[in-house]
Amino acid sequence: MAGGKVNSSSKILVFSTEKISDPAIDMAGLLKLHYPPTIYTISVPCSSSIKPRWILHAFEQGFDGVFIAADGTDCPYGESCTEKTGQIVNQTMEVMKEQGIDPARLKMAAICSVCSEPFVKHVKSFTEYLNKSEN
Amino acid sequence: MKKKIGVYVCHCGGNISDYVDVEKVRQAVENDEGVFLSKTTMFACADSNQKEMVDDIEKEKLDGVVVASCSPKLHLLTFRAVTERAGLNKYNYVHANIREQVSWAHSDNKPGATDKAIQIVKAAIAKVRHAESLEPIKVKATNAVAVIGAGVAGMRAAIELAEAGSEVFLIEREFFVGGRVAQWDDLCITEETGKELITRLYDEVMKHKHVTLFTGAEVVENTGSVGNFTMKVKITPRHFKLQCTEGSLQKAIDACPVEVPDEFNFNITTRKAIYHNYPSEYPQLPAIDMKNCTRCGECEKVCNNIDFSQKTEYLNLKTGAILLATGFDPYEPPKGEFGYGEIDNVVTFPQFKRIVHYCDDKLIYKGKEIKNIAYIYCVGSRQLDGENKYCSRYCCTANIHTAITVKKKYKGIHNFHFNRGIRTYGKAEVWYDESSRLGDIYLQSFEHAPPVIEKIGNQTIVKINDVLTTDKELEVVADLVVLVTGMVPRKDNAIGNLLKVPKGRDKFFNEIHMKLRPVETVIDGVTIAGASQGPKNIMESMNSSLAAATKSFSLVNAGELALEPTVAEVNKETCEWCGKCDEACPYNAFEKVEMDGKFIAKVNAAVCKGCGMCLPVCPANALDLIGLTDVDMESMIDALIPQV
Amino acid sequence: MSAVETNKVLKFDVLVIGGGIAGGESALNLADVGYKVLLVEKELSIGGKMILLSKVFPTLDCAACITTPKVSEIARHPNITIFTGAETKKITKKGEHHFEAVVLQKPRYVHVDDCTGCQLCEEACPVSVPDQYQYDLVGRKAAYIPFSIASPRAAAIDIENCTLCGACERACPTQCIDFTQTEEELLIKVKSVIVATGFNLFDPLKIPRYGFGEYRNVITSMQMERQLAPTRPFNTILRPGDGKMPDNIAYVLCTGSRDKSVGNPICSQICCMYSIKQAQLLMGALPMADITIYYLHIRAFGKGFNEFYAQAQDMGVEFMKGKVGKITEKENGNLLLRYEDIEAGVVKEAEHDMVVLSVGVLPNLGISDVFDNERLEMDPFRFVAQSDMLASPAKTSIEGVFVSGTASGPMDIPDSILSGGAASVETTSYLRRARV
Repeated sequence: MAGGKVNSSSKILVFSTEKISDPAIDMAGLLKLHYPPTIYTISVPCSSSIKPRWILHAFEQGFDGVFIAADGTDCPYGESCTEKTGQIVNQTMEVMKEQGIDPARLKMAAICSVCSEPFVKHVKSFTEYLNKSEN
Repeated sequence: MKKKIGVYVCHCGGNISDYVDVEKVRQAVENDEGVFLSKTTMFACADSNQKEMVDDIEKEKLDGVVVASCSPKLHLLTFRAVTERAGLNKYNYVHANIREQVSWAHSDNKPGATDKAIQIVKAAIAKVRHAESLEPIKVKATNAVAVIGAGVAGMRAAIELAEAGSEVFLIEREFFVGGRVAQWDDLCITEETGKELITRLYDEVMKHKHVTLFTGAEVVENTGSVGNFTMKVKITPRHFKLQCTEGSLQKAIDACPVEVPDEFNFNITTRKAIYHNYPSEYPQLPAIDMKNCTRCGECEKVCNNIDFSQKTEYLNLKTGAILLATGFDPYEPPKGEFGYGEIDNVVTFPQFKRIVHYCDDKLIYKGKEIKNIAYIYCVGSRQLDGENKYCSRYCCTANIHTAITVKKKYKGIHNFHFNRGIRTYGKAEVWYDESSRLGDIYLQSFEHAPPVIEKIGNQTIVKINDVLTTDKELEVVADLVVLVTGMVPRKDNAIGNLLKVPKGRDKFFNEIHMKLRPVETVIDGVTIAGASQGPKNIMESMNSSLAAATKSFSLVNAGELALEPTVAEVNKETCEWCGKCDEACPYNAFEKVEMDGKFIAKVNAAVCKGCGMCLPVCPANALDLIGLTDVDMESMIDALIPQV
Repeated sequence: MSAVETNKVLKFDVLVIGGGIAGGESALNLADVGYKVLLVEKELSIGGKMILLSKVFPTLDCAACITTPKVSEIARHPNITIFTGAETKKITKKGEHHFEAVVLQKPRYVHVDDCTGCQLCEEACPVSVPDQYQYDLVGRKAAYIPFSIASPRAAAIDIENCTLCGACERACPTQCIDFTQTEEELLIKVKSVIVATGFNLFDPLKIPRYGFGEYRNVITSMQMERQLAPTRPFNTILRPGDGKMPDNIAYVLCTGSRDKSVGNPICSQICCMYSIKQAQLLMGALPMADITIYYLHIRAFGKGFNEFYAQAQDMGVEFMKGKVGKITEKENGNLLLRYEDIEAGVVKEAEHDMVVLSVGVLPNLGISDVFDNERLEMDPFRFVAQSDMLASPAKTSIEGVFVSGTASGPMDIPDSILSGGAASVETTSYLRRARV
């Protein structure tokens, strides 16, 4: 692994969920599925509890990307979760456009409780995208 | 704001410190605002360190604590308990995950891992700075348990829960109890038959005044949460007032013109629309299967206890906990798998058990006496291409035991076991040994070359390249081919969906922790028992149902539960009731109340689950989650970005 | 636990014999619903064998990490009293819900409550003997802390090897070492008993043709378990003969299991899986090493096991269907395995630089002698017999005495936990009948 590359890598804030995607991210570690260490996770009870202002705050503070590891259909709180999380993302993207932030810097995907590999794939390709768009 | 925060960074005996420089992490945070002491420790969770933490909190009067170690799923509660023992409210504790999400995830990049660990610990410190003491929400728990499924596991759990002192509702979807074991005759391990075991358990269930059994009953709705579930149960009538008088039941059955495959016998026989599960018909009252009944009225003419006026009923049951013992389905091979459904003398193992049950002196199938039996193992299990990657655990032992029984029961039987490596684990090894001694032939196929079944003329031939005789191609002419089918999850998972019980990779219900918490689920108050959690033999199912009974009992027995106080909170100043939160809430936790001349939203804390779905929908940003407010969140985000 | 009272009858609701993971689970469940439990453990720490393991199959969770919280929960529970280094000598059933037990508390020569676990006594002690908690891979002192995550984490004096030089006493900052402690016999009255005495590992000295004890690079699976554990004796994997890192390791499955010649005809249920687990961990620790598992049948039957087995195959662990007949040592410490290659139908020889014997599960004998006036039946394999195996797997031949975990036969951790749960709810019902 090229040592220098990592530290200049894009910083991504991941919103994970306590019961569904967080276990998958934990398991990615357990299985030593590596991903860049510039990816930080904050866990919330449910992906439809994320306030747009939190996402915007992350961009303001200097995060290059925000990734929502959504509950998807596995949400223990309700079937409407995917739809609601989608609305949050759309709403936030609108504001991002207004503020001149590339909406592609916000990404969402459903990560089930054993979706460790998809998670790693997502954050790796997101990092690559962000690394490229910065250069 | 906290001024005396204690920070503990764990080595985890190398699990963390092999990749993260824990001392560097400690040094990086020791001067953070509010940090009073910072330490590294070999095992934060070890008793000695816990003791040290208690001493530190007491002596130094710490007002906030952070431990950076493994996933909070493992130890959040451990360390909350530590702070509590030291007299500090447990919500002044914040956990930082630097193992699963740092040292292990970035074991390929040590400096990167250390940098990330530093930011994560800083974020945890930022959060604990704003932490406040909270008291748990107390709710009354109903001392009653709903047990879903009256197979051996469900009945056993029901009896023990009632014995221990809970009210039990035993809910069975079929008209008869006993589940899969009722369909078994000879069982392994003991001399007791399936019917005898069911009779014994059923008698105890009926004897117990604290168990109420519902048959033909299905849970259609569930509201509430741990301690207070309300279940709506649909009860389908049997259309019998009483047992038919002597002899008239058979007349009624004979009179019924409808004939359908009998699922109790795995469709090798048929039954009428009016039926009972001979010989394990508990309750001993027949039922009419209204899906197939044509209402011709012939049965009514010969038995006057038949009553077509009975209506579907709905009941509401209040329980504190739910125990799922919904069992399994036997794997049903698709047409053509090893000749199933195409070659007439290919049956599944459950069908074979029923055939053996019905044949006394001679083993006869479709009019032909059976001498040579070929058993094909792992059908539907350990699939190379299919979805069922798992081993079904019980089949090797159950089948070998049955093969021995068959050999002893009938004359001239030759058993040929086409296997993929026999898995008679534990004490069941003695059956494998006995069957070999009795002259059973074992042939093992190579992993990617399963045996082949062909019908040539009148003969059914099983071919194999045998591992045990150095890849020789061998053939057996079989009178009967038994596909040793495994266990699959129940096709109908209505109850699992209703309760939102997660499933594992194998599609069986999933437990919270495979090793140490094998019967609890992520849904508080819902436990899983028996084969609903994964393939098991009877003894293993019993152990799991009793273990689930223990856990359910300890929940409801106390009469009171303490719930997490991390629920939604309304800012009374800024809230101007618009109802959006009420719409978003999946639990009806919101109420519209009048306060100081305006309408605002009020949260019912006992109902709120703290999911936060209401937070982003509020146009006035008047909602926060206790323990995860805007201040908490934004200070964590700030701390994750290194300050240059 | 130094609160041992002399000349006084102690009363509890339940006596749990054995503080491993099954006994601990039973004790916790009972304590959670309000019963007073006495947990008697013969070793110096609770946690049984699980606390000494590396990682668990098939989740690869670190065993210490998931055991320690359970162990501290047990240790801290207000309804649980623990005696470590104590032995249950005799149990007499006086009537239903009325048992009397004699428990022998052996002296630890340390006041546990005062010991801070600082290890200064260890440094001071001049005596070195093999460390039983590291399965003799390394040495320890006669004044020692059993292992770093022991509960209680307090020193003990191994009086058999102690020279009574007094160095530890002088080094101890809290004066907690006390050579005047003596054995104490305690009379315990309880209403019910749970037998959770666990299992013993097969001793491979009984199969001389494998050369264990003679060839130093032949070790047991438990020794390998220790080498892979977070509280490991070395910081890496070493062959004991010369301290070299091995790069071609063999596992011999069914050592002492499925073998009538050593008196154990049954399958031990766990060896296949723990060997597969160790193989995966070794591939992580020694990426260049080759690992071969010699087996008869792979018993990967539990939840997630078969998938775990497939994962090991994908990682490149070699599975050789064959029976190992004899092991001989070469001059360089390498080992020659003579085995029957079943798929090829010939006898072959292979060289490895380290051999791990996957030793089986044997009953922990002796518990039946403890029961004085009623007979605790054993099964044909000398595990505790289950009197109603299908409907009440925890019941034994004595009413009011229940069995928990591997005392009744080989099982893995989840099965032990389930069995521990079953024993506790059956005990709860039995105790409840005493009230009415």
